[in-house]
Amino acid sequence: MNYFAGIDVGSTAIKVAVVDEQGSIAGVHVTPSGSLFHKNSTEALSNLLSKLGLKREDVRYLIATGYGRKLFKEADDSISEITANAIGAFEAGKAYGGVRTIINIGGQDSKAIQIDSNGHVVNFAMNDKCAAGTGRFLDVAARNLELDLEELGDCHFQGSGAPLTINSTCTVFAESEIIGLLAKGHGKAEIIAGIHYSIASRTVRLAKRVGIEDRVYFDGGPALNKGLVAAIQDELGRELVVPEHPQTTTAFGAAMLARSEYLDEQRLEPA
Amino acid sequence: MENDAKVIPIQSAPYHLSRQAGEAENMLDHIVDDFPDNPQSMAYFYDLFRRVYCHGDEVKHEGMLVGTTCIQAPEELIYAFGATPMRLCNGSYHYDQKGADFMPAKSCSLVKATLGMLNSDNVIPRIGKPDLVVNPTTCDQKKKSSVMIEDMGYAVYDLEFPNVKESEASRVYWQRSVRQFTARLRELTGKKLTRKNLQAAMAKTSRAQAAFRKLHNFRRKSPSLILGKDAFLVTNAYFFDDIERWTDAVEKLNEELAQRDQSGFKAVQSKAPRVLFTGSPPIFPNLKLPLLIEEAGGVVVTDETCSANRMLYDMTAVDEWMVNDMVDSLADKYLKPCTCPIFTRNDDRRRRLLDLVKDFNADGVVYQAFAGCQVYEMEYRSVAEEFNKAGIPMLYIETDYSLDDKGQLSTRIEAFLESLKNRKKHRA
Repeated sequence: MNYFAGIDVGSTAIKVAVVDEQGSIAGVHVTPSGSLFHKNSTEALSNLLSKLGLKREDVRYLIATGYGRKLFKEADDSISEITANAIGAFEAGKAYGGVRTIINIGGQDSKAIQIDSNGHVVNFAMNDKCAAGTGRFLDVAARNLELDLEELGDCHFQGSGAPLTINSTCTVFAESEIIGLLAKGHGKAEIIAGIHYSIASRTVRLAKRVGIEDRVYFDGGPALNKGLVAAIQDELGRELVVPEHPQTTTAFGAAMLARSEYLDEQRLEPA
Repeated sequence: MENDAKVIPIQSAPYHLSRQAGEAENMLDHIVDDFPDNPQSMAYFYDLFRRVYCHGDEVKHEGMLVGTTCIQAPEELIYAFGATPMRLCNGSYHYDQKGADFMPAKSCSLVKATLGMLNSDNVIPRIGKPDLVVNPTTCDQKKKSSVMIEDMGYAVYDLEFPNVKESEASRVYWQRSVRQFTARLRELTGKKLTRKNLQAAMAKTSRAQAAFRKLHNFRRKSPSLILGKDAFLVTNAYFFDDIERWTDAVEKLNEELAQRDQSGFKAVQSKAPRVLFTGSPPIFPNLKLPLLIEEAGGVVVTDETCSANRMLYDMTAVDEWMVNDMVDSLADKYLKPCTCPIFTRNDDRRRRLLDLVKDFNADGVVYQAFAGCQVYEMEYRSVAEEFNKAGIPMLYIETDYSLDDKGQLSTRIEAFLESLKNRKKHRA
């Protein structure tokens, strides 16, 4: 059996997805990027393969994507994470009745992508160079509030008051704003809800720039945070499609592309 | 006597070890070494930038030196008075940081870098002190830098430029303004403007323009014969190089491109997306964006910027070869075809952009706006609408001279080029 893999070397986590010839997911794997991008990428791939009982030769085509895509020379090809994300969301979105708008929040950037009915990118927008409203922002906030990242989601719903306003979208300034709010005796839950709404309104503005059509797909690590999902839904005024594995959508897209590249090449080869 | 404590000056490092030189060297190495198949006749330009920007060699000039901060200053007049024009607009990130002292935080990198350069001991290109700095009153940031440049000890001339292009009042106002500029040049050089001198000066410029147009036309070829990064370097050299030598070098390059064309040479893959570049001008060493496009497998086939096409494309049309009429015709050339966003309306710019896409068979457009360059930022909307109507994809990028956004920009550019390729594939 032939397999195809996509590896998404992100700023915070390395994501690997393997699909079979039919395009169904054989397995996914997520591991922190750390400082040794290349070593950790190679390990992430071999870990997933051994978990699936596959050999490296079984993977016929490998596409790298994400911030570190150029460093991973073992790949057959590389592609930008915007295109990979679009393919992944288009394929994964079929189960939900099809999607045309994608919101992605990653470790250090956020994107909105509009695709056409064939899954091709029509338009996209990305945050400029600063990390405002990205996963890094949640990271810093969680540290200030002495919470684990995983606890942020549940905490969002535990507040008794209205979400507080976090005016600053800058990660560094927001940190001092959060400390200020804590010093005034505000509850953690209200602060967390405020943070989520601050990210949500920024993200929705980005999505409006590319145009919101049809169902909206939300992926990236922060999509695991239920509080953030609720806040974006509220700001957007519509429900989001959040996939089962939001972190690996882009890696899955790269794997799906690897599969179709391989099949295209096979078709061109003389029998 | 503690108040008399003397400041002990430190010996500054030789130029070639300065940060400016390092920045220029890195960029030039990237331009030269990271791309295969550079035209052989580009060696002239690579060497010129190496000498001037990396080694700090002096740029020689004849007669008085007249610095210009914008392409709206008629260079033919400066030549006619036996002086040498030198475009001061600067592309260095280090000068940008130095110039930040003069401007509000959110201002244009180009203006800040020009101020930073003029205020530096290490002025590059090393030209000596301009005898006059001509500052056309175009965008607000340039307008307001006049006084600051004056405070640095330069003689500055505000060349008054209108905001409305279409009106007859503007045309008359601008013609008068150019005549006044002539008077200032007469005062500076102590020479008289004669028909013969002006004619010779115009011939010099139009020979350079003819060479540029020929080069520009070669870029219509598909697949491309030359990369955009080289074309930008050629027009950047026009800022400070001797005009005759520059023209000879461009003609030589044109000959090589003609040979390339005949032999069926390809500078890029045949499917490489063709890009029209518009907006804030790429000026060496800030060729960040054109290089990112071409590293990602695209090719810049033409541009609508004031460091290249807009600077050299439009020719002077003279009705009567009498000196006053010639000056008026020159004034018209610098106003009427200009597509700078400082004007109230931008119908001409939008029209020209659409024409360029068609003539050069571009697949998409990259629009660069320097953060803080309000006029380009504001025109984004109407230009985007125009392209949207015409079904032409455009990528808008707000950036500055720093390299810290390279990672994110390369992702956006690659995704854009991927979508252009996809479009082509599915249309075919």
